[in-house]
Amino acid sequence: MCGIVGYNGFREANKVLIDCLKRLEYRGYDSAGIGVIGKKLQVFKEVGEISKLEEKIPSFEGDIGIGHTRWATHGAVTKENAHPQLSSNKKIALIHNGIIENFQKLKEDLEKKGVKFASQTDSEVIVQLINQNYTGNLRDAVINTIKQLKGSYAIVAACKEEPDILVGARNESPLVVGVGDNENFIASDISALLKYTNRVKYLDDGEICVLSKKDIKIFNKNTKEVTKEENIITWELKDAEKSGFPHFMLKEIFEQPDTINKALLGRVSEIDRSIRLHEKIEDLLNYDIKSIRILACGTSYYSGLVGKYLIEQLTDIPVIVELASEYRYFGTKSEDSLIIGVTQSGETADTLAALREAKNAGCRTLVITNVMGSTATRISDAYILTQSGPEIGVAATKTFTSQILILLLIAFKLASLKNKLGADELSKYIIHLKELPRKVREVLDNSDKILNIALELKNVDSVFFIGRGINYPLSLEGALKLKEISYIHAEGFAAGELKHGPFALLTQVTPVITIVTKDNTYDKMIANIGEVKARGPEVIAIAEENDSEIEKHADFVIRFPGQSNPLSCIPIIVILQLLAYHVANLRECSIDKPRNLAKSVTVE
Amino acid sequence: MKCVILAAGEGKRMHPLTYTRPKVMLPIANRPILELNLLNAKKAGLKHFIFVVGYKSEMVRNYFQDGKKWGVKIEYVNQGNALGTAHAIGMVEKFVDNFIVLCGDTIFGKQDIKKIVDKKNSIGLINIDNPREYGVVEIKKEKVIKIYEKMEKPISNVINAGIYHFEKQIFDFIKKTKKSLRGEYEITDSINMMVKNVVFKGVFLKEWRDVVYPWHLLDANEEMLKKSEKKIEGNIDINTMIKGDVSIGRNTHVMSGAYIEGPVLIGNNCKIGPNCYIRPFTTIGNNCHIGNACEVKNSIVMNNSNVPHQNYVGDSVIGENCNLGSGTKVANLRFDKKNISTIINGKKIDTKRRKLGVVMGDNIQTGINSTMDVGTILGHNVFIGPGANAKGNIEPNSRIL
Repeated sequence: MCGIVGYNGFREANKVLIDCLKRLEYRGYDSAGIGVIGKKLQVFKEVGEISKLEEKIPSFEGDIGIGHTRWATHGAVTKENAHPQLSSNKKIALIHNGIIENFQKLKEDLEKKGVKFASQTDSEVIVQLINQNYTGNLRDAVINTIKQLKGSYAIVAACKEEPDILVGARNESPLVVGVGDNENFIASDISALLKYTNRVKYLDDGEICVLSKKDIKIFNKNTKEVTKEENIITWELKDAEKSGFPHFMLKEIFEQPDTINKALLGRVSEIDRSIRLHEKIEDLLNYDIKSIRILACGTSYYSGLVGKYLIEQLTDIPVIVELASEYRYFGTKSEDSLIIGVTQSGETADTLAALREAKNAGCRTLVITNVMGSTATRISDAYILTQSGPEIGVAATKTFTSQILILLLIAFKLASLKNKLGADELSKYIIHLKELPRKVREVLDNSDKILNIALELKNVDSVFFIGRGINYPLSLEGALKLKEISYIHAEGFAAGELKHGPFALLTQVTPVITIVTKDNTYDKMIANIGEVKARGPEVIAIAEENDSEIEKHADFVIRFPGQSNPLSCIPIIVILQLLAYHVANLRECSIDKPRNLAKSVTVE
Repeated sequence: MKCVILAAGEGKRMHPLTYTRPKVMLPIANRPILELNLLNAKKAGLKHFIFVVGYKSEMVRNYFQDGKKWGVKIEYVNQGNALGTAHAIGMVEKFVDNFIVLCGDTIFGKQDIKKIVDKKNSIGLINIDNPREYGVVEIKKEKVIKIYEKMEKPISNVINAGIYHFEKQIFDFIKKTKKSLRGEYEITDSINMMVKNVVFKGVFLKEWRDVVYPWHLLDANEEMLKKSEKKIEGNIDINTMIKGDVSIGRNTHVMSGAYIEGPVLIGNNCKIGPNCYIRPFTTIGNNCHIGNACEVKNSIVMNNSNVPHQNYVGDSVIGENCNLGSGTKVANLRFDKKNISTIINGKKIDTKRRKLGVVMGDNIQTGINSTMDVGTILGHNVFIGPGANAKGNIEPNSRIL
């Protein structure tokens, strides 16, 4: 999982490349490198973050080049293994994102032919192979090379002997072309290019593109030229910048009143008391659905779990949430179940693979994603965009709440289609939906109070999160947020499960965060708090503002505004996000770029 | 010779109108400022243009495309980071030799552009009353000695008008230019370096119109309309009064009882009347409706907006896709007759106008009988409820109920 960028134009290539790489850093940041063709092919690589590369890079002359930020998959983090990778004769340079599955075999074949390898990467195999296939035309060499490759890749190659073009190709890894004037770009992600252009062409799997300064030619597998429409990106650069916040994560947490609105925009009608989704989606929901399977990874998986509670509660349709990486190999594929894939980037390799499996088996597929034009939107029967704008912080925040809202809208729609939810009841929910931005803003206004509680957690080694019902997946998400950015060990449990094992780990210095809503689980939760307290640890409760009982049981209480209802999960999540953020900030962790993690996991 | 037009700026002082368009796309007399410059430059003999674009560049590109419609060739360069005028001009190094640069958000006259084209290594100068906000130019005979940015006590009233004729050597000086105090690479700093080695001449201009704040559009509009001529292409019902220089576009229907006092410019596909009063220095865009019992005076109504029933709009700028509810009225004069102040980007500004109504961004709806106070600024997508009163500076996407 890496970020790649190519530039061919009139500006100083190394400046443009570094600029773009900084915006791709979320895709990986253990080493980086740049190759620029001027009078000769110049390459510079460095271990560490992009800023380190920027400090040390010599001034390269040339207006065409490629850049790469790496997150190691094959081979250790060293200068040799950083990209661009060069052919032995230093004629061709290549950047690669993805994993080549048959690289060992290809490497052995090449070694037999006497090719000497300088790195341990699978990527070097590609460039050596291109060089072997090179007979004066880089495009043809790339086409012949990718025929031999198995696995996922987005590659961009440059050749010293053809200093006016770059050649890119993709298969199961993201790659987009940015259209400019007298200049063109290619990158893993359009947000890297927004400073220079908002015009984009999406490449599909198996396609090859040749980038010159004046034009872009795209070919399919059979070397036939294809025409692609140009799309305009409506995000603006400032959406991808911190705009005054110390971290992207905090900025994105604070954007939630806005992103909630955007997720609901045009989909919820107060006047007709109805939920409106795209025709295609309504068609999908209108089938006689016997069950629903939600496929996702990481945070999206937890939003799926929240969705399960909401959909089952409202529609009585059984929902199974599966980890995409497991489902693709082991899941059952029945034709009367609706498959919902949830992926922020729309490029999560495991989720894509699972979706393809399901689709091949004849299932109907629906995708919830944040990125228009992403692979997921193209391989599914229908998609719903969360419309949250770019999320740069590696820890998902605003896209998580939006994913849940979309699942909730699906639940409402399904329930009304199945006559499980009357118009009056729905309109009550719609009022709650409309109040959400205000409630979230109230939580954000009380960020300082949450900071005070974060002080309690700053120095602990382990934290438990517990809840029942929908609050159980929220506990899982709360724990995930905390562990991924503060590096404190955290676990989420269904409150009823504590005594079936986890109690053994509970000590006086293991704070327990309990999510307590006023519903049919309330008394049981109070009892669970009692059990925990009996073993000595501090209890921090998240509870509704009018709950005066809770103070008698918990050591600290964080309040969410309004009364408990299924939609309270949204303000509660925001509280959990702020708590994790403040703890990580107090511990001086690298919040936007946690160690060993990357935003969009495009390897399996 | 190529003509480079700087068109990348957002124009923050033009908020709320520039929230939804770049400054050069602001319309004056129904044409974007950039188009006015393009037409004048074409008349001055220039055929080949490079637009340096940035903020909302797709709007510029969609409107002008490759320039064929105007009989010229237009290329584009995206500035990327907005790092100042020197940086913007530096972008075109690989595409020009001897070239003209003009700031796309200031309106230049065709004769003046011609004068600059005819004189190598020159800069346009203009005499103005209050030069403090501009670059004051020190000259000896016609030779430029130095340009001083925003002097507290200006040494003269001669300022840099924002039009230049450069030779390739300017790029050497642009490359040596350092960031100015306000953090930008300024072409005036490059010029100040160049004038030490090269004779750089000042050329006095006759026509020059700078628009900084939204109400300046009204002044520019007035000036343009004064030069307009009578031209009726639409359909005029009987019992209408059309006085003076009124231009009415194709497919526009003027219904009985309309009283139009020129100079007035009305675009294509509009519905005017019945029974309305349109007073001098008003420009109405395309696809607009000015309905029964409405009075519009000294105002700009942009495309697809309606002033449909019982409205008064005076000294105002109405953005695109706005709709006034029945009875919505705009105040444009203080009772004490003092100058009207308003707030732009959090700063209070004396508009120096005794009469100013509302400046409305795009996509605004007002409810019946709503009112707007003098100098009200409304961001785009604002919604004003029935009977509500709007005043001051209203943020985009607000609801006033």
